[in-house]
Amino acid sequence: MPETRVLFRDIDAPGLATIQGYRDRGGYGALKRALHELEPDELLSSLEDSGLRGRGGAGFSMGKKGSFLPRGEMEKYLCCNADESEPGAFKDRELMQKNPHQLIEGCAIASLAVGATYAFVFIRGEYWEIADILDRAVGEAYDAGYLGADILDTGVRVELIVHRGAGAYICGEETALLDALEGKRGNPRLKPPFPAIQGLYGGPTLINNVETLSNVPHIVNNGADWFKGFGSEQSTGTKVVSVSGCVQRPGNYEIELGIPSREIIYGLAGGPPKGRRVKAWFPGGSSAPVLTEADLDLPYTFEDLAKAGSMLGSGSIIVADDTISIPELALRTARFYHHESCGKCTPCREGTNWTTKMLDRVVRGEATPMDLEIIAGVQEKIIGHCLCVLGDSMAMPVGSMVAKFRDEFEATIEAAREAGHGALDHSPLDRPLTTGAQAA
Amino acid sequence: MSAERSKVTLVVDGVEVTADDGAMLVDAAKEGDVEIPVFCYEPKLGGPVGACRMCLVEIEGIPKLQTACSTPVRDGMVVYTRTDRVIESQSAVVEFLLVNHPLDCPVCDKGGECPLQDIAMGWGPGRSRMTEPKRHFRKPMPLSPLVRIDRERCILCYRCVRFSQDVAEDEQLQLLERGASSHVGTFDDHPYIAPFHGNIIELCPVGALTAEAYRFRARPWDIEDSGSVCTLCPSQCNVMFTVRDEHVQRVLARDNDDVDAGWLCDKGRFGFQMITSEERIVEPRVGGSRAGWEAALDAVAERLRSAGERTAAIVGGQTSNEEGYLIQRLLRGALGSANITSVDELEAGLARRLAAPELGAAVPDLDAAESILVVGTDPLNSIPILDLRIRRAIRQGRARLVVASERPTALDGGAEETARYAPGDAAGFLAALAAELGNRRQAGAGTPGRAADEVPGDGSDWAEGARRIAGELRPGKTVIVYGERLGRGPGGDSALASLLECARALDLATAGAGVIGVPEGANGRGLREVGCLPGAGPGFAEAPAGRGLDRIKQGLLDGELDAVVLVHADPIRNLPDGPGWAEALRRARTVIAVSAFDDASTETADIVFPAESYAEKEGTVTHPDGRLQRLRPAVPHPGNVHPIWQVLAELGARLGHETGIGSVPEAVATIAAEVPFYAGITPEEIGGRGVRWQERPAASAVAELAAVPPEQRTSRTNLDRDDSGTLTADRLRLGTYPALWADEITDRNVALRFLAPAQTVELAPSDGERLGLASGDEVEVRSNGTGVRARVALNERMRPGAVFLIEATAAENANALPAELNVEVIKP
Ligand SMILES: Cc1cc2nc3c(=O)[nH]c(=O)nc-3n(C[C@H](O)[C@H](O)[C@H](O)COP(=O)(O)O)c2cc1C
Ligand code: SF4
Ligand code: SF4
Ligand code: SF4
Ligand code: FES
Repeated sequence: MPETRVLFRDIDAPGLATIQGYRDRGGYGALKRALHELEPDELLSSLEDSGLRGRGGAGFSMGKKGSFLPRGEMEKYLCCNADESEPGAFKDRELMQKNPHQLIEGCAIASLAVGATYAFVFIRGEYWEIADILDRAVGEAYDAGYLGADILDTGVRVELIVHRGAGAYICGEETALLDALEGKRGNPRLKPPFPAIQGLYGGPTLINNVETLSNVPHIVNNGADWFKGFGSEQSTGTKVVSVSGCVQRPGNYEIELGIPSREIIYGLAGGPPKGRRVKAWFPGGSSAPVLTEADLDLPYTFEDLAKAGSMLGSGSIIVADDTISIPELALRTARFYHHESCGKCTPCREGTNWTTKMLDRVVRGEATPMDLEIIAGVQEKIIGHCLCVLGDSMAMPVGSMVAKFRDEFEATIEAAREAGHGALDHSPLDRPLTTGAQAA
Repeated sequence: MSAERSKVTLVVDGVEVTADDGAMLVDAAKEGDVEIPVFCYEPKLGGPVGACRMCLVEIEGIPKLQTACSTPVRDGMVVYTRTDRVIESQSAVVEFLLVNHPLDCPVCDKGGECPLQDIAMGWGPGRSRMTEPKRHFRKPMPLSPLVRIDRERCILCYRCVRFSQDVAEDEQLQLLERGASSHVGTFDDHPYIAPFHGNIIELCPVGALTAEAYRFRARPWDIEDSGSVCTLCPSQCNVMFTVRDEHVQRVLARDNDDVDAGWLCDKGRFGFQMITSEERIVEPRVGGSRAGWEAALDAVAERLRSAGERTAAIVGGQTSNEEGYLIQRLLRGALGSANITSVDELEAGLARRLAAPELGAAVPDLDAAESILVVGTDPLNSIPILDLRIRRAIRQGRARLVVASERPTALDGGAEETARYAPGDAAGFLAALAAELGNRRQAGAGTPGRAADEVPGDGSDWAEGARRIAGELRPGKTVIVYGERLGRGPGGDSALASLLECARALDLATAGAGVIGVPEGANGRGLREVGCLPGAGPGFAEAPAGRGLDRIKQGLLDGELDAVVLVHADPIRNLPDGPGWAEALRRARTVIAVSAFDDASTETADIVFPAESYAEKEGTVTHPDGRLQRLRPAVPHPGNVHPIWQVLAELGARLGHETGIGSVPEAVATIAAEVPFYAGITPEEIGGRGVRWQERPAASAVAELAAVPPEQRTSRTNLDRDDSGTLTADRLRLGTYPALWADEITDRNVALRFLAPAQTVELAPSDGERLGLASGDEVEVRSNGTGVRARVALNERMRPGAVFLIEATAAENANALPAELNVEVIKP
């Protein structure tokens, strides 16, 4: 099954990243239409009708979220979440690198829809090259009058600022992003109040992912019905999927939602190298509970993956073939969240730390099957108890791995024990990762 | 003020509970006797943060458990706090908290009064499954010279950090690192030095933050709590003394939202060491040698009898109402002298009008005011707790703040407008402000009045500032916090008269609006109200005119006065023209001092009586907003110290003036009978929280207070003196100010001494440049041949042409300079 390219149309065409290249393909037509032909409420309702769901992780209807913002004159904000830090996700990077104006146009239209005068793109610090590309494109858009105090002489004001983060996964969490943008330590805030009511600097704020916003010009151009023509009833449109891990052709593929997952992993990405099989796969980034070979025929939609006990999340597939040690994968996953936990709430701060230490013992052969009980129990004690979902984001995949590959965990412990305690002094993962936990 | 909140009904664990609409579930549950454990929740710090996750509960209709600390109640809500799911989450959070907690309870100061212990016992799993190594940090290290931090014990509830960031706004404490490595610290490990930082010790729910002074001193079962009031400054915060073996070991806040909103400054918290100081005077002294009480009382009685009406008395701010009342009885009744005053003397007519009940604002009025004018004072130095209160009012977005002062204040940053007048120009500025406000009011009524620039003096400059300030003030909804020191000096009376005019123009005799005067002494207001004021008796009753501070000094110098009694007062250090006072006391035939410590003034005394410390006193004081508060003795008197009221009553008796007062309640009753607006008040009524006399029925009996004719119209003569107006380059004008840590309290507490400031001369950068001075330079500030050595501090917010020195420093005291406006700053 081929790709279905909407956001990725002509993605590799030279010059697409320039305003001329973008306009040559009809770019900024949607903004003009939004300015001249549509009322903000019409914009919002067509976004809602389209069924466009957030592409950043939670999959919430974009139009509905936009409609939660109060109407009327006040300082409102749009934030584009370009923090893309989840292991396995690299789609926003390519979207911004190769077609920055599509995002800028999306931001401008979304700002019109909710009445925001300031839009911010919060981009992860490590994407400095991409940030430069964005900055250049934003400059072009200002010069062309698509952004500024009086866009296209309509008297409407939309300013867009590209803000570079300092490189913390937690700053992708929408409220931590707001704090970081305000110049504070990037810690999640308590919700409610939700950002739509009280967000950046206390003003109503719409926060959307890069891919979500990149979809907006297309919906304005072609209409909600066109958009609904793609995908399933609950998962409309196309999706850029980042496929990585044990596949022969890793990369970003834009697919119509609803195609079988096997088509993505095998058809597009080429599947694992010859002679190997898929053992486990994360369907939606490292935060998603793992699925197995038996789940490969699931349609790739929000609802089907949820039914299977996992999630589509940011739409990043990570494949582990039969050469991969699941306990080591669990440890690597836990380490990441342990390292990125902001530390504000207890279950995540201590739970990721404790889980990592236990998994480390499992891999080093210093654990007993009892420890597996404790590991599983600790995950349950994290889930649903945290301030944001970062804690759950470790507990769900780790919990799923212990549940689905229990035999392998026990075998690992047993093998390591037979080889003598501490035979594996250091797990191979020790070297590249540091926990930052060294106390002063 | 705040309207009654509507009520909602909810069900908590099967019990129907009625609570205020909008209350948080944790608080509402208490109404049904259900305790929901919390760590991070502390409403004093502002909104909930939901960090610790200890308070998760189940709410019908919501799938996920919710934090009770951040969930407002709704009518009909059904809540469960003891279901399996909730119990599991509670035990999970406790288990998680203990994953990295050292559990060194046997050597932890918090042991026995530790919420973590209590909650772990009540809601925890009992044992941990954690076998991994815990994280380690260097064990208690200094966070400041007064506070230590044990980061291993910290449960990262963020309270201390929130205090620093959101309450004190000093922003020094931070969470460093992240995740399980998070810890509390400061940038680059700088010591956390800020005037309110001691509050974090009390906020900390574990033993992570401990007071240097209290470490290993006592266990909760060794101590007794004793509630009283801190009289180290006019804030009069409500405190709880922790007493072990008859010694004060610690001072905690005794939350009274009407007074202190639950905070203390570091002076109040750590200033208790002086109570047990070796240097205290604990025995009467006659002619420099120890004496028994009998001998001392006889000696004093004899000397006072012969001095008679040629006696004067000065009482300091730590003096209680009862002591103040009795000393004025001694002078007026026994000696026929009217020369009784306090360091907070005001012209009697003005004092009376400023005390008018309708005009008085209460501290909580600051919370609801739409605009706040701070004028002639820097609350941080003079009434620290109000600095926090005003910050909170601004943070909550209700109040707009404006500041008018001669010297930059700590609140400037939060002010919409600031006006900086030159030292000595307060009267001119206030006259301009009164004119501007009056004009606006009349313009509102259709008849424009006099414009601000018609006021004589540096009209243009004052008028410009006055206009900016006036533009922010909302009639009927403003609270003015003014320094009573505005009333000092030649323009003082007219400054205060103008302030009254401002209040009238702003309609401040309205509920929720008004003025709060900030005295120099803790009980400045009470002392005036009980009659320590020349020219007004108890309750501002008409009384024969007497000498005020300046004329007492003069009288002692030229021999018209024979004797002076100093109660908790050290004029040489604390009043302007210290050298003049020193000379006056030396020349006085008799100096009688009631003091807890030796100081420059007791050195000149013929007879010294030991004074009680504030922790030993029984009696009442009156807060600057009119709240009578009770002092209760926490510890017994040391040595041969007797209650001062008793000594004064006894002296009266020896001089043939029986007061009939044999106890503090009797003294209170006598005062209540004489001060019409205190009528009927008793210690019981005052109780632990105090009562504002303006809110009692007796206040109406003195409506005429306000009606007293403005017998002293603003006299503008002193505004025309030639040195008012533009400051010129070669004439620097000196102002002085009281700095928070420049006082005898700081010097007498070893722990606080590091805070005592060295003399500093503040200058505007432009003046610094002109004079070739940079911050840190050592200079001499000279006037009329006298000099004070100081270090230069250039301050951008200073008004060019003005220089400031600190009053009452232990060395190089600004009060040592003659009362002269013009000075030179010279590099030696
Ligand atoms: C720990 C954490 C990290 C996240 N990182 C990102 C991110 O990098 N990019 C993103 O778009 N959303 C991220 N999210 C999701 C955002 O909180 C938010 O749901 C999203 O930006 C909303 O946009 P959408 O509705 O368009 O998906 C993260 C969430 C969590 C809890
Ligand atoms: S879940 Fe983790 S990342 Fe989220 S607030 Fe809690 S500690 Fe921070
Ligand atoms: S030091 Fe105490 S108050 Fe501060 S975060 Fe830690 S536990 Fe909380
Ligand atoms: S602010 Fe004043 S009254 Fe309050 S604790 Fe400090 S010194 Fe005492
Ligand atoms: S008390 Fe509610 S989360 Fe801490």
